[in-house]
This record gives sequence, structure tokens and C-alpha cells, in this order.
Amino acid sequence: MKEFEYVITDEVGIHARPAGMLVNTVKPFESEVTIEKGGKSANAARLMALMGLGVKCGDTIKVTINGADEEAAAAALQKFLTENL
Amino acid sequence: MKDKIFGVLQRVGRSFMLPIALLPVAGLLLGIGSSFTNETMLQAYHLTGIIYPGSVLYTILDIMNKTGSAVFNNLALLFAMGVAIGMAKKEKEVAALSGAIAFLIMNTTIGALIDAKGGIEAMAANSTTQVLGITTLQMGVFGGIIVGLGVAALHNKFYKIELPQVLSFFGGTRFVPIISSVVYLVVGIAMFYIWPVIQSWIAMLGNLVMNSGYAGTWIYGIIERALIPFGLHHVFYMPFWQTAVGGTAMIDGQLVQGAQNIFFAELASKSTGEFSVSATRFMAGKFPFMIFGLPGAALAMYKCARPEKKKIVGGLLLSAALTSMLTGITEPLEFTFLFVAPVMYAVHCVTAGLSYMLMHIFKVGVGMTFSGGLIDMTLFGVLQGNDKTNWIWIVIVGLVYFVLYYFMFSFMIKKFNFKTPGREADDEETKLYTRADVNARKDAEKASASSDTTSALILAGLGGKNNLSDLDCCATRLRVTVIDESKVKDILLKQSGASGVIHKGNGIQVIYGPRVSVIKSHLEDYMETPESDNPMVEESAPIQTITENKKSETAKSIILSSPMNGTMLPLTDVEDEAFASEALGKGVAVEPSEGKLYAPADGVIDNLFDTHHALGIITDDGAEILLHIGIDTVKLKGQYYEAHVQNEQRVKKGDLLISFDIDAIKNAGFKVTTPMIICNTYDYGTIEAVASGAVKVGNDLLKIEN
Repeated sequence: MKEFEYVITDEVGIHARPAGMLVNTVKPFESEVTIEKGGKSANAARLMALMGLGVKCGDTIKVTINGADEEAAAAALQKFLTENL
Repeated sequence: MKDKIFGVLQRVGRSFMLPIALLPVAGLLLGIGSSFTNETMLQAYHLTGIIYPGSVLYTILDIMNKTGSAVFNNLALLFAMGVAIGMAKKEKEVAALSGAIAFLIMNTTIGALIDAKGGIEAMAANSTTQVLGITTLQMGVFGGIIVGLGVAALHNKFYKIELPQVLSFFGGTRFVPIISSVVYLVVGIAMFYIWPVIQSWIAMLGNLVMNSGYAGTWIYGIIERALIPFGLHHVFYMPFWQTAVGGTAMIDGQLVQGAQNIFFAELASKSTGEFSVSATRFMAGKFPFMIFGLPGAALAMYKCARPEKKKIVGGLLLSAALTSMLTGITEPLEFTFLFVAPVMYAVHCVTAGLSYMLMHIFKVGVGMTFSGGLIDMTLFGVLQGNDKTNWIWIVIVGLVYFVLYYFMFSFMIKKFNFKTPGREADDEETKLYTRADVNARKDAEKASASSDTTSALILAGLGGKNNLSDLDCCATRLRVTVIDESKVKDILLKQSGASGVIHKGNGIQVIYGPRVSVIKSHLEDYMETPESDNPMVEESAPIQTITENKKSETAKSIILSSPMNGTMLPLTDVEDEAFASEALGKGVAVEPSEGKLYAPADGVIDNLFDTHHALGIITDDGAEILLHIGIDTVKLKGQYYEAHVQNEQRVKKGDLLISFDIDAIKNAGFKVTTPMIICNTYDYGTIEAVASGAVKVGNDLLKIEN
């Protein structure tokens, strides 16, 4: 299991479009990715749940990755978050 | 102790329901039959040419008249059997047979003793009567109820008795009629000596009530209404309707006792000039508040509901108001405010009592079979003619009551902010309740013999099959005695569609309204099935289990309707790569012509964005829908958008969700193209648009299939 935290810097947070992109980043991997914010958590493969977190600029999210390809998934996610959020 | 008495009274009350349920039919026969064989009435309506003694039509009407009377004349026997059935725990048919036999034995015994004493002449005046051809003491339905209760007690004690080998043929249920006969022979002897004393007491009590005048009628009315929440009103009014407590009268040479019996004897009699108000005062008061008053209250509750809830609440209140108006079954309506605003119910009791008194004052002589709806008012008031009944006063007082109830309820609801339907905060309970409503309706559609979800819910709510001591129902509620009251889960019962649950010790009443008898039958059928042994709903996770159940049955196509008026646009044509690439999921878009977004299906708001430019809905079928008004409009930070719903709120197809200012958004440099995306696209096989060109709110737009 891998775990890391990330602080959102994008002005509008995880709204529909970035949420969709995040889902698509996670999709190819076998590992299960969970994103947690302020006590609520969501499966990153589920768009609706992800948007439901209401992540905004300045929020800290905790990303947990669990599965066979967790190393690769973690790297891809790190890259995606830094570039987009 | 108090709870135990309540439990017994509750069972007695509900055991009255079987014979009482027959009364409307008997009343209909008697009402129509007697109205159209009454000479005065025939002359008044110039019908003597077609309907005259000896003609076919007259004979048919006369048969209706007499068969209807037969029911009223033999009510005591019906109660003897009906109460025995209602109170017996098992093998109810044996209790019924025993009730009939015991009733015959008791009356025959009394008859023999009257003969021995020197016949009717030797008895006090008006103390004897004929029952089924037997000369006996005038006991009214009390005689029947005494038999019914006693036989049921004997039955419950002895129906499993084991006798010595030689006598074993007479053991078990066969022993019940035998012991009942013997016991009621003795009871008959005892009654011969005891009853005349009781008769004098009843006469005194009756006189007291009779002499109490208008105030007495008012108090009677208040008590009758006040007992409804406890389900004990049948026990209270029955003596007035059916025994000498409610008065006695000589009609066509026959002594009749009980207000209802007097009314129907007068109805059957050809010589009635005007109905006795001293009898109908115990009945007529129901008409004004049931036909006019309570519907006025319903209108007030509708007007006070929040705008977005009016549609749902309107349906609920309309059906409840119509039930009250037509049949006089008021509980569905009364219970909508009884639990949330007991104060309003208290006021309702006082004004309802007043209605009885006003009917008494205005000499309204209209009786009823069961309750005071339009059907009874027409048959026993309007058809009998105003000369005999003064029924017009029902309408006059009723109209005042409509206005009075409307303003009284509006005032109180607003003043005290009572949470009547459509005003409740969106807390857990209400949400569950409405969600359950929909589920219950769905389940009803799907109801199959093998899996009856509603019954399973009810059973789970009552703490499982093993927690039930006995189960019955009256006109509107399921009446249950449970072994452990703490296992009863109100929330599950409400999910099954109940509008309220009353706990009194181990006596539980679950209020469903008039459809309760069907619910009870289903529940009983369900309890015969093996699956009822392991309740499917675990108490820890009731809601989830239901959702899962539902999901497993989504193997059909779902149609989403257009959320806007405007022009359909294929998703791939949307000028935004994230949507056009279907990266967020498949779907469709609408170019709106009007700044309003409506719900495309029934569901729950899952995710209303703070910026109000987008929201998610999870439909009852499990589809996760994202509605996104405009492209990149997150940057507007909520400007030009107004949300009409909140998170977790349940919405119906066509409810207004968000309104927005098209021109302002366009002027700010954004497109208002609105994609409707299925976020859980991977749960489905095909998702395709079924409309093109101009679309209107409510038109089918998107088809989703597994």
C-alpha cells in the first residue's frame, strides 16, 4: 500500500473536468485508489463520488493506492496532480 | 397493568371490525331498499306508477330492505361470532362455531327461565325481546359481545387440551364447542338474574346521557375524537350505537335500543315522520367535519407546504381528503398532523365535538352505517328528504367548517411552524420516509409471490416472526401484540409505507390507511414462506440492504427525460474536449433556450456544486447523472446561478433544480451548452440518445441499457 498527501493549488479545485481526468488516470491501473478529504473518502474510479468530496483550492487530500501495480499508479497520479491540480 | 388493559381493549376494539365491516353493505341495502319502498317518498318523486306493492321492482327493493334489516336485527349473533374470531389466537373457525352455539344456548336458557317464571308478562316491561325466534332478555349486542369474549377466552385456554385416551376424540378443538355450551348454559342462568339489574343501571346511564342535553353531545363528540389516536373509539361509541346507553324507542311495536339501531329501525319503518335526533346526535356530527372540515385542513396543509414539495404533498393530501369525504375514514388525514402537531389534533377534537352539538341543536336526523362520508350522507340524509332529516344543515354547518378549518390550520401551522407534510426539514427521517414511499410503490409493482419486500420490511420492523404474539387489523391500522416491544423498529415500519406507529406496552399499532387489510393478508401469506424465518433486513444496515435489492433488479432500460427546453446536441459535438471525448462518461447535451434545469428522473441530489453550475443525481434505478450547465462555467463562481434544491434532497422527475441567467452567462463569455453525463457508464451496456432537434422538459432524451 502506498500513501501520500497533496495540497490542491488549482483555483477551482476538483470540479467536473479534472475529476473526469483523474478517473481516467486511475482507470488503466489495477490498484484501488482512494482519495480522502476531511474525513470523507471516495473511490477515485467513481466520478460522482470524487466530485462529492468537494475538494477546493488549498485543501489537502490523502491518496491511498493499494494493489499489484501501486508503484506505477502512484507515480502516474503524482504526475497528474502536479500538472493539473 | 395499564399497558395490559390497553392491550386487551385494543384487541376487543379490533375484533369488532369484522361485524362492523358488514354494516356499510347492509346499510346500502337497507338505505336504497327502504327509501324506494317508502310511500311518502315514492309519491314525492312521482314513482308510484312503476314502484307499487306487487310489482317486480318493488319486490326487489323490498328484498333489499329486508335483507339489510336482517343484518341489523341479528347483530348480536354476528358480534358473538365476530368477536370470538377476532379474539381467538388460532383455529379461529372453531371459535366462530363455538360462539354461535354458545349464543343459542345462552338465549335458549334464558328463554326457558322466562317461561318458568310465567312468560313475558311476568317480566319487567320492555325487558324482553325475540332473538332468532327465541324469547330472551333484551341484551342488544352486549349479549353477543359477552358470548364472543367468553368463548374466545375458553377457546384460547382449551383448543389444545388433551383428554384421557377413551375421550380423546373430544379433545383439542372439538372440546371448545362442548365446554362453551356448558359454560354458557350456566351463564344463561346467571344472566337471567343479573341482567335485569344491569338493565336498570344502563337505563339510568342512558337517562343521564339523554338528559345531559347539548353539552352532553359535545362531550361525547370530544371523547370520541380523542380516542382515535389510541384506537379505542370503537369501544367507546359502540354502547351508544348499539345498546340502551344510546337510548331506546318503540318503533312499529318493537322495542329498539341503541342509537344506530333506532335510526335503522326508523329507516325501515314506513311510519317515520322525522328521524329521532336523540339517536342521531351520536352520529350526525361526523358529517360536517369529515366531508368539509378535514378537507379544509388538508387544503391548509397543502398551501403551507414548501413550493418544491407541493406536488408530492398534494397527491398525498388529496387522496387522504377524498377518503375522508367519501367514506368518512379520517385516520389517513388525521395522522398526517396528529404526530407532528398534537396541539392541532386537540383543537380538532374540540371543534369536532362542537360539530356533534350543532347537529343536535339543528335537529339533523341523519344516521350512518360506519362513518360520516358523502355516501352515507346521500343515502340516509339527502335521499330521505329534508323534511325527515334536516340534512341541509350538514351542508350549511359544513361550509362554515371548511372555512374554519382552513384558516385555523393555516394560522396554527404558520404561527407555531408545525412540520406538516411538505414543511419538514430534510432530516434523515423524512428522507427515508419518502424514499420508502417510492420503494414501496415499486415493490408493489414488482410484487411476486416469492419475494414480498414490503411484508419483509414490516416483519423486520416488528422484530421478526418470533416476536409476534398476534396480528390483526382494523379499518386503517395493523394491530399487533409483540413479545418484546424494544425490538420494534419504527423506521423500518415507516419505510414500508406506514404513516405512523403507536406503542403502548406490547400493543403496537401501525397506521397504513384503508389498504391495511391487503397489507395484512400479504404479511400473513409471507409469514407462511420459509424466507420469513430469516429476516432479510438486518437492523444494522436497513437502508443499504434495500438499495442493493433494488440494484439487482435494474436489468432493464432506463429512460432519462430532457432536463431543459432547447435543442439536443450529441455529446461529441460539445465544444469541450473533456465532454466530447466521453472521458467523463457517455451522455447527451442540450443547448438550452430557457434558463431552467429540471430533474430528468426520480432520484436524490448527490452532489450540488458550491458554485451551483452543476449537480449530480443518483436515480432510483442507480444511474449516476452529472448535469453541467455551461462550459467552463466553474469560473463564474456561482454568479448567475440559483439552486432550488440542496444536497441529499429527494427529487421527482420534472422538479426544478437550478435556474440561471442565460444572457448574463453568455455575455460573460461562456457557452451554456449543458451536458448530461452518466458517470457510471461502465455499469451499463449501451447509452444512447433517443431524441434529436428541439426537445422539451419531460420528453424522452437518453436511453440506458444493461
